[in-house]
Amino acid sequence: MGIEFYLFILINGLSQGMVLFIVASGLSLVFGVLRVINFAHGSLYMVGAFLAFSLSTLMPPGSLFSFLMLMLLVPPAIALVGLGLEISLFRRIYGKEHLLQLLLTYAVLLVLDDVCRLVWGGDIRNVARPEVLAGSVEFFDLFLPTYNVFILAVGPIIAIGLWFLLYRTRYGNLIRASVSHPEMVGALGVNVSRVMTATFMLGCWLAGLGGVLMAALANIDLGIGMEKIIECFAVVVIGGLGSIGGALLGSLILGVGVAFIQLPLSRAAIVFPYFAMALILIIRPWGLFGKPER
Amino acid sequence: MENSQAGYQNIIIGALVVAALAILPFILARFGQTGEFWIWLTTEMIIMALFATSLNLILGFGGMVSFGHAAFFGVGAYTVALLMKKAGVSLPLALIAAPCVAGIAAAIIGWFCVRLIGLYFAILTLAFGQLLYMVAFQWYTFTGGDDGIHGIPKPEFLDPTNYYLLCLIIFLVSFLVMRMIVNSSFGLSIRLTRENLDRAKFIGINVRRYQLINFIIAGAFAGIAGGLFTELNRFAQTEFLHWSRSGDAIFACLVGGMYSFVGPAIGSSILIFLHIILQQIHQSLVEIWAIILGIILLGVVLFAPEGAVGLYLKLTRKSEK
Repeated sequence: MGIEFYLFILINGLSQGMVLFIVASGLSLVFGVLRVINFAHGSLYMVGAFLAFSLSTLMPPGSLFSFLMLMLLVPPAIALVGLGLEISLFRRIYGKEHLLQLLLTYAVLLVLDDVCRLVWGGDIRNVARPEVLAGSVEFFDLFLPTYNVFILAVGPIIAIGLWFLLYRTRYGNLIRASVSHPEMVGALGVNVSRVMTATFMLGCWLAGLGGVLMAALANIDLGIGMEKIIECFAVVVIGGLGSIGGALLGSLILGVGVAFIQLPLSRAAIVFPYFAMALILIIRPWGLFGKPER
Repeated sequence: MENSQAGYQNIIIGALVVAALAILPFILARFGQTGEFWIWLTTEMIIMALFATSLNLILGFGGMVSFGHAAFFGVGAYTVALLMKKAGVSLPLALIAAPCVAGIAAAIIGWFCVRLIGLYFAILTLAFGQLLYMVAFQWYTFTGGDDGIHGIPKPEFLDPTNYYLLCLIIFLVSFLVMRMIVNSSFGLSIRLTRENLDRAKFIGINVRRYQLINFIIAGAFAGIAGGLFTELNRFAQTEFLHWSRSGDAIFACLVGGMYSFVGPAIGSSILIFLHIILQQIHQSLVEIWAIILGIILLGVVLFAPEGAVGLYLKLTRKSEK
């Protein structure tokens, strides 16, 4: 076991971290604008993963085209689910007590998870990787799984895309303005509630995309939603709630951390997210990139 | 004048409920197997009512959402299980040890948690709760891992009826003690920290210390509930510590009404009763329990955030007018 082995672990951890980032950035974005922590975010990601599985059985397996279709179709579908949820439920609780918000999203989680169980059952599933991405690429004498490298490319694209959207477009300006001064933005004639709905849909779109990527990266089952939401909590706590850069850093720390701790202590690795989360909350409650509130 | 009249009314209703609860097992005992099942079930309801009421000290009166309350329920459960199974300690001693150990655990975890407010408090309690869950899950030699601890000895005098009565008495004593705490000057200060944290600081309340003490008290009572639950089922398992159990207690508070003292106990009983009724109607209904629970929760959050007690008060007040 030389350097190749550790590099392999690193690539694996980083690609897990990238998927985590894509999901967690959605959670963080939604929190930043709506001030609601969405417990059901992990469930939306899970619905995305299972939807990708179902659609993949309808398409010719192994072709790059079908996989790209999944990446194109599933995230908007999840965004539409999000649209329904936002209009019918979430909109009613903005600005109310944290407790009621948490419980409402927790109720949505319960319903979504159970619907998933009824529709897809408890079997372990996955999506076949397209042949182009199934092999491995040579990198300085090392053979790395192509799919992981692909995810390592997708993650930064999403990060840059989000950054561009938030800091270089009019919509991004509206989002950021709505975060700091929603009433002022409203007074200037902007439909803030539409900005909120759009942001929520974008968050769900990211959850859906994470689901598709994960379905081909590892096996999926009914536990992944719960698992991912806790990891997302850890990520946003480590990085700072509402910060996209923080979400990226937090995800990579968590992904790589878990991958390496798994080596000597396979069973202790699942404790790592909780441990990291508790540690950061005690030392720096607002996270590495966040700002202290009040 | 009106208040004291309402007070007398409450005392009378309370006394009637207690009397009914005390007679209940003797009536149920006449129905053989089904009766025994219902005694077991009502015992569980009493224990869970105690657990929910203890959470409400933090949630309703302290205004802090804890997703880690099951940790103390679990610590109490494992304390009783380990002491009785491995150390051969008698039931009364084990039941005294349970709140003590749970209180110590709450003191350690709470010391960190009360430093944070709002969402961050909720997430940190969740993290600590899950840490304990994972420890119980992984520490095979001590806790039995995911197998749990089975075959906890049962003292001979404890038939279902006697155990029911024991739980009822412990519940009533705990309930009254918690009520005294809530109505004491300490309890009023805790309520003030919920309503206005800054003002509480201004008038010289050491907010963190008060919240920590409140957290420890709640944890200790949750430990009693956990201990009683272990002896009822005669096993302890990691599920007792899982955060979904904390979630169940939060639902109980919400459904019953977390701004009233009796609300959580009522809410917890409603939910357990509903679950069992659905099971009696058709097994398939239990399979979609999470969906049903989710829909109930949505309804409560959106339309009746003060829960069953709030609804009841609203209705009676309307009828008086």
